[in-house]
Amino acid sequence: MSPGSSRVRNVFEPLERSIITKLWLERFAVPEQSFSGYRFFRKAKSIWAVSDVDLPALSYEAIGMRIMNCKDRPWKPTTSALQVFGIFASRNTMNLKSDGARIFLEGGTQAIESECEAGYVVVFYRGDILGCGLYSHGKLVSQMPKERRLERE
Amino acid sequence: MDHLDRYREIVPDYAAFRAIQSQPLYNSARINTLKIEPEKLLERLREDGVVFRSFDWYPLGLKLDSESPGKLLQNLLGQIHIQEELSMVPPLVLDPLPGERILDMCASPGSKTTQIAQMMDNRGLVIANEPSLGRIAPLRSNCERLGVVNVAITRYDGRRFPRGSFDRILVDAPCSSEGRERRGPGTLARCSRERSLGLKALQVGLLKNALRLVRPGGVVVYSTCTYAPEENELVVQEALSGRGEGRNCGDNRDCGDSGAGWAGGAGGACSSGGHSGDSIDSGAFRLEKVKIAGLKECPGIVEWEGKRLMEELSATARYYPHINDTGGFYVARIIKS
Repeated sequence: MSPGSSRVRNVFEPLERSIITKLWLERFAVPEQSFSGYRFFRKAKSIWAVSDVDLPALSYEAIGMRIMNCKDRPWKPTTSALQVFGIFASRNTMNLKSDGARIFLEGGTQAIESECEAGYVVVFYRGDILGCGLYSHGKLVSQMPKERRLERE
Repeated sequence: MDHLDRYREIVPDYAAFRAIQSQPLYNSARINTLKIEPEKLLERLREDGVVFRSFDWYPLGLKLDSESPGKLLQNLLGQIHIQEELSMVPPLVLDPLPGERILDMCASPGSKTTQIAQMMDNRGLVIANEPSLGRIAPLRSNCERLGVVNVAITRYDGRRFPRGSFDRILVDAPCSSEGRERRGPGTLARCSRERSLGLKALQVGLLKNALRLVRPGGVVVYSTCTYAPEENELVVQEALSGRGEGRNCGDNRDCGDSGAGWAGGAGGACSSGGHSGDSIDSGAFRLEKVKIAGLKECPGIVEWEGKRLMEELSATARYYPHINDTGGFYVARIIKS
């Protein structure tokens, strides 16, 4: 079953770790063991990661961090997830310089030449992960959520 | 601000306490060690021309000379979190350890929740409870921005949070917020003895349930950002001893199952004339001294409006704005035997 095909809406269902590690390995070359300290859940079209502990039997609004959106193809990593797991990525990553970082943080689009495959990429600046970009045809489109953007100068 | 006059007898250097209320509070932030090493963060702030000074008492706390600290790149990336100086105290008093199971009973917007998560190095589990639907989004958003993965969010009325058992519980209760006047001028104008008494019923209900949910040997920290003894010492005393007005959750239906699981009504050292049938065995709990090195606290009061309170309340801590140049806070640390 694909990670996006939840059988029940609005219920957190446990998800096998291997499903997640396979996807992150394929796209970002994140080693499997980077996810060893976590458990995964699916709710509707989202995947959540939480520290590897038994959860008490309670009714939950959120379990850990929402890390992936599987509503569309390809799946999309969240900004928060890339800021945690992107550090282990060695494929489809991009380093920006100061000017490019500002454009990205403002939510803008920029022309850029890169070896990255088309699709979602991990965007770095000064060694920090800024977030998720969508790269295709020499263009990088920022995926920064509105509330986490820099104001335009 | 005549409302403050009721604290004339309990606040040291009362004139200075009055005077500082009209002085705005500086902005402050906590370094989020889940995302960046403190040294590196300080370097980044310098590179970006941000003027700051570290707290004397907490190396992860920063005073920021910035009008809109929320717009700093470091905040947007979750490397810092804008948080009041004294708001960083309750998690330190709670002292959570990696791998433990913690309940933050009144969590949103999550400043203390995320501080707890970072103290646990993102391991173990923090249940962040917040009854208000509208306050779930900011709680979630702060947890995610700060890179927290060991927090799960629930939405119970804290008085009826169903089950434990937790190693530590923080009850940072809804309060009249008198200690926030320097941040939000006008706060005091909404405060009154009656309002405090109304809140007290809720606060006692929350704390009583926390005492039920914590495991033996576990820690409950009760905190507010207010001065009113009705919301502080009187809450702790009533929750521990069940005395005073006896069982009172405001709305009796809310008391529901909150009596279940109490160590049964032996009365106890602090309970003189309590309703023993509804009370906790006060011997089952003890108050531990609250002390943060480098931050001056005043002892919790043991007399109010002519009535003696339990002596042990002097172990709790009152933080006043004119003593450390901060806001105001109250913190109690309770151990379950």
